[in-house]
Amino acid sequence: MRGLHIYIALAVAVLSLVSARTLNAYWMHVAIIAMFYGILASSWSLLAGYAGLFSLGHMAFASLGGYTSALLVQWYHIPIPLGMAAGVALCTVAGGLIGWVCLRMSGPYLAIFTLGFSEIVRIVLSTEDQVTAGMAGLHTAPLFRAPTDLPYYYTAFGLLLFALAVLILITRSRWGLFLRALREDEQAAAACGVAVARFRILAFAIASGLAALAGGFYAHYIGILTPSLGSLDLMAVVVVMAVIGGMERIPTAVGGAFGIEVLQETLRAYGQWRLVLFGIILLLTMRFARNGLLTPLWRLLTGIGEARRPAPAPRGIGPEGSRP
Amino acid sequence: MDYLLIQVTNGAIIGIIYALIAVGVTIIFSILKIVNFAHGDLYMLGGYTAYYIVTFLGVPPLGALFLSMAGLFLFGIVLERLFLTPLYSDRTERKDEYGLIVTFGLAFFLRNTALIVFGPFPLRPPSFVPGVVHVGGLAVTNDRIVAGAVGVLLILALLYFMHRTIWGQALDAVSQSRDSAAIVGINPRRFNSLAFGVGAALAAAASALIAPIYSLSPGMGVLPNIQAYVIVILGGMGSVLGSIVAGILLGEAEGLFTAFFPDPTRALAYTNAFGVLVLMIALILRPTGLFGRRHVRME
Repeated sequence: MRGLHIYIALAVAVLSLVSARTLNAYWMHVAIIAMFYGILASSWSLLAGYAGLFSLGHMAFASLGGYTSALLVQWYHIPIPLGMAAGVALCTVAGGLIGWVCLRMSGPYLAIFTLGFSEIVRIVLSTEDQVTAGMAGLHTAPLFRAPTDLPYYYTAFGLLLFALAVLILITRSRWGLFLRALREDEQAAAACGVAVARFRILAFAIASGLAALAGGFYAHYIGILTPSLGSLDLMAVVVVMAVIGGMERIPTAVGGAFGIEVLQETLRAYGQWRLVLFGIILLLTMRFARNGLLTPLWRLLTGIGEARRPAPAPRGIGPEGSRP
Repeated sequence: MDYLLIQVTNGAIIGIIYALIAVGVTIIFSILKIVNFAHGDLYMLGGYTAYYIVTFLGVPPLGALFLSMAGLFLFGIVLERLFLTPLYSDRTERKDEYGLIVTFGLAFFLRNTALIVFGPFPLRPPSFVPGVVHVGGLAVTNDRIVAGAVGVLLILALLYFMHRTIWGQALDAVSQSRDSAAIVGINPRRFNSLAFGVGAALAAAASALIAPIYSLSPGMGVLPNIQAYVIVILGGMGSVLGSIVAGILLGEAEGLFTAFFPDPTRALAYTNAFGVLVLMIALILRPTGLFGRRHVRME
């Protein structure tokens, strides 16, 4: 059935909007955090999955966005949405700048560079504690003063929808094709007329802006902000989400985020063991199912009622596959 | 003046330890063509292994150091066999991305497992040789002297291995050209394992040497991992000698930075940031490292 995934996505969206009122406070919180991770995982998969720019600084941008917004609101008493917008603007520019600076760096060097960037952000945020309150945590103004989290839920939903719309529009357009061309072979893409520099910078700017959006929302939802938002462990959790869902598609990355967040909550009794489990899942997924778990699952489900088609060629075989 | 001299001495010792870690990163890079993001966690694991060998088996610390090296050598080979073999298959696309995510995931897994198994509290193993040596106005603990001396010996042993033994030369041959090495009868697969094992063993040695000075904690590998990248980028990916020189230089630079930083309460935190900043600037100026060997590059 063609377009089945669109109907399913619509049904999920409508269902989650309608059923919001019936959720209890706990699951409401879980859903909001899941949507926060959804934005992060999907924007990271634009960067890493589509453009092949494996950045480890994504959470640093989320953290920067959160702190920018929280501090601006605290100092100048500007409205919170304006603060979040300022965070997004700052991180879009900073992300573009990082993208520009790393133009000549390939795969692992880029990862090392962004890892360094995120460590510097984390160190500065935790050391300058007169300004940021350091590891004690910065208290932030709440976005809404309501008895329940319902307004946050709808806001998170709207932000996730916005992020997905931006990301899917990009990946469906010619730009998405260009980004994937960059990922596969930068020199060949340049030879075909893809403006390599422009698209690398663009991918960084957009993904970082969306990360800042998520970070800004998180700051004003949770009410307290610590530098550990930009920690390597949280970055790893986002990587796990994107990879398990399948980082080469935007919606599957969101699916991965939801799956992992729900798993994280249902296994809460196991504490630290959850992160170990996620590590194992990540390693096994990479080792045995690099396309993620959701895409093959989807193929399996939709393939049941249909006539047998020739199986798609395995990755790596075919005209573009046999690179040295 | 004395304070400065102490910083210079400490910087040299830390530099030697850094060099041990970085040499492992560079050997793994030149053979497997991946940047090992789990190196800092292998380092952490080596320190804990030595600690438990000392406390439970009662082996003297120096013996525990070598046992831990042997243990991590084997563990490295097991990890390489389990997770890195797709790197050698022609059917794997985008190998650098695979290596990145797998080693990054490995780091995450090892760090969190360590947090559960070893506990979050810092542990301090017994000294190699207790006591302090006074040279002029300078007081240096014996542990630092042992760390520096054993570190230098290990580096010399490694240089001997790389340049004067048939296995070391074969390792170099594989790093230059896998195919040509295979033609002259070197099995590249075996050397993948060897390189990863040697890298892990060197990290274990570094950790066991540093443990009595600072202490052990599950997160101790994160920053040395980045420092190792600083060194490898400065010294050139794939160059063992470059890593050694850059390691000692970085140790000294950090020691002096701490000494001269105006605000002593923040000096330590920014010393770490200083190393990272050096890394970022070096990468901006030379995206493949300052003295990289031409044949060693990503595929």
